[in-house]
Formats: sequence, structure tokens, C-alpha cells
Amino acid sequence: MMPKPQPARAPAPAHTPKARPDARPMRLALGGGGIAVLSALATAIVLPPQPAAPVAIDDPQQEVTEPPATQLQVKRPVQYVQLAPGETAPPGAKVIDASAPTPMTVVVTITAAPQPTTRKTTVKTTQSGRVVP
Amino acid sequence: MTLALGAERDARARTVTGAPAADVFPIEPVSLATKAMGGRLVVHLDAVGRADRAGHDSRQVIARIDRWASRITRYTDTSDLALLNADSSPAVAVRPTLAAALAAAITAADTSEGFADITLLDARLTAEGHGHLAPASRLDEWTTERRQRGAAVVHRPPGLRFDLGGVGKGWIADRALALLAGWRSAVVDADGDLAILCAPGRCWDVAIEDPRTPESHLAVLRLAARRDGAPTRWGVATSGTSIHRWNVGGIAGHHLIDPRTGRPAETDVVQATVIAGSALRAEALAKAAVIAGSVEGFALLERARVRGAVLLTSRGEVQALPVTMPLLAG
Repeated sequence: MMPKPQPARAPAPAHTPKARPDARPMRLALGGGGIAVLSALATAIVLPPQPAAPVAIDDPQQEVTEPPATQLQVKRPVQYVQLAPGETAPPGAKVIDASAPTPMTVVVTITAAPQPTTRKTTVKTTQSGRVVP
Repeated sequence: MTLALGAERDARARTVTGAPAADVFPIEPVSLATKAMGGRLVVHLDAVGRADRAGHDSRQVIARIDRWASRITRYTDTSDLALLNADSSPAVAVRPTLAAALAAAITAADTSEGFADITLLDARLTAEGHGHLAPASRLDEWTTERRQRGAAVVHRPPGLRFDLGGVGKGWIADRALALLAGWRSAVVDADGDLAILCAPGRCWDVAIEDPRTPESHLAVLRLAARRDGAPTRWGVATSGTSIHRWNVGGIAGHHLIDPRTGRPAETDVVQATVIAGSALRAEALAKAAVIAGSVEGFALLERARVRGAVLLTSRGEVQALPVTMPLLAG
């Protein structure tokens, strides 16, 4: 990004002591970066699914076929619950203790301003769809 | 800078495996582009010196995609999906392609904790000003029963209509990539939803479009094979509220319906890009992150253990899960 031209300033008096930079923003940034690194180390990536069964490439009439299954049903897993006295948690649900501290998700803010595309990237991910008239 | 959002943090031990090796070389592909499914369709192949073969295979794949899309679209009256939606019977037999796409929709709903919901067609049409009913999710009201040779019977109350939409595009991208298994590195771009295969030593640079200035990008991903030497599959998808919008009676709307309300989602996420192991999974989770909003969305993405996620918020911030950072190019 091109720096904005700065307005002209009056010369500072000769006796003005040299200002020292404020160290706090850098300390905050370093601390935040450390948290991000720790979070990244504690983060996993799922293994990719097995490639789908190959199908013949040269027969556009061919239907997709999947391995036979008896029945598929919509499953709506309960992820987290808080229980009232006497209640029990559904299978697989994680019980949240109401008195526990608020859990957190750490994210990183990418601070670089958007740049015009200068490198050759032929593959692009975008929102799909079109404007409805 | 890091932000701590008030949401569930999964403390399970994780290993970062998505970082590409340093000595990988970006692919300059042979690409074939066309229009399909209401948008662009591009097949990219790492085919230096094999352009003729690449063109032949790309055309074959595009023909197959057109065939699949013609069966699962809701924009014609003759597709298998349109016939299912119009059928007044509570149990309807469907052919293998639609059966497989519906099975993928069930997977997408599970993956996204219900946010990727194909039962919201009437809610969406209502939001667009074309209907009078705005029901919320009917995800629990349908099942499929598999039959011989991939066919199925769909059980659902008559009148419950489906819209495969983005889930269908993600599914098609993954299936089309499977057709290209003879190529070591390939990408199927189904209108922005990418199914990617990458061979060791090579990498795909993928730009995330900035919806505010489409000639710019929010970030560039560098996706390579894992270090274990095996070709690696990736899925990248982007969803958002800034392109597919409308205005009905002075009220702005968009196409991402919140299954909890049956109305366009009220969200602080303008656009979400998710990197996962398949285009279907990435599409479902990107949609979920937009609808859920940044706080709940990031927590959901972390629970889903995605390989990466980049969100643009209505505050103009570009935020990412930390696991994304090794995937950013330069």
C-alpha cells in the first residue's frame, strides 16, 4: 500500500526532548502472537476423506452410484447442554458446568490491507450465485 | 493481534499437518472454463506438455457435470429434483444421482450442525418475495431409504421441497475430481467451490476474492500435499451475503436462510472461506459460519476441526483461525 503524504510540520524547538516510542503496543502484539502460536500448536486438522470411488470418465449418461446402505437418517447431534436438577445428558453430549469460566475461541486478525492482485493466481474461491432481479 | 471470542474452546490435542513443505512449486495449469449451474465451471490440470489430453479429459468431466447438474437443479421443471418436489406422494423413488446428492445433503447437515439445510426452499422464496409462507427448518421431517444400485426412496411430507443449491455444487465438485484421479494434480472449480488434488512437490495458489473490490483478494492460500508423500485432497469454499442479495418492499435480503428463523440470517459475517478435506464439507461449513455469525461460527469451525478459515466481518476485519496461518502464501 502506498504511504499517504504527510502534511508539512513546523520544526520542533531545539530543546524538546526526543520522544521515546511507547513499548506497550509491541508488547501486546508479541503477547498476542504467542497466544496464536500456542493455539496453532494445539489445533489439529482432520484427515482428508478417502477419495470417492472412481467412475468411468467417458460415459456422461452414467448415474452416480454409492455403496448400498440400508437407511440414512438426518442426525442432529446435541453438542453441548446445561442440565437442570434431575436431568441427564443425551448420548455424546458434553455437559457444560454453569459455574465454569466462559470458554474462548482464539482467532487471528489479518491486518494487511487488501492488495490488488499482482501475482498470478489462476484459481480463485468466490461467493457463488447471482443477483436476484 | 489475537481476539478471544466468547465461545466453546475445544481443548483436544491437535497436530498441525496442513503446512506445505518449503520446496513446493506453484502449478501453472492448463484450464478449461465454461458456464454451468448458473455460474462458472473451470477444470484446472497440472498438464505441462499434455494439453491435448487435458482438454479431452476436461471436456469429458464438464459433460458429466452438466448431466449431474441437470438432474439436481431446481431451476427446471424436468429435473429429478423438480419432479420430487412436485410429487404429492409421501414416498418417492429417486434415481441414483439424486439419491447420492441427497445423501450428501444429509452429511452436510450433520457436518454443519444443521446450518446447511436443504429444506429451506420455501423460506427462501418467501424472503425473495415469491411466497407467502416462511417456515423454519424441516430437517427432521425427511429420510432416504436406499434401494438397489444406488437408487433410493425419499420419505417426506408432501409439499416439503428441497433446494440443493451450494451443497449440490460442493458435491458435484468432489465427484468430478474423482473422475480426474488419473491426474496427479487437478482442481474442479464449481462456481467458487473448489475440489483440489495436489501431488507431492507441487502446490496450488488459491486467491480468496475480496467481495468489496473483486479485483483484489483477502488472502492467497498455498495448498500442497502433506509431507508423507501422498497426494492430498483439499476442499475450499466461500459463502457470503454480499453478492446474492435482493430488496423486497424496501427490506434488504440475501440468500442464506437461518434454519432457526426461516429468514435471511442476521449476521456480522459478510463472507466466510473454509478450507477442509472436501468441497462439500467446506461449502457446508462456510455457509454455517456466515449464518451463525463470527463468534458462534468460529467455535463451530473449531469443533469441526477444519484445516483453515478466513472470515470477513461487517466491521471490515479479516479474521482467521490460527490453523490457517501456515496455509497463507507469502
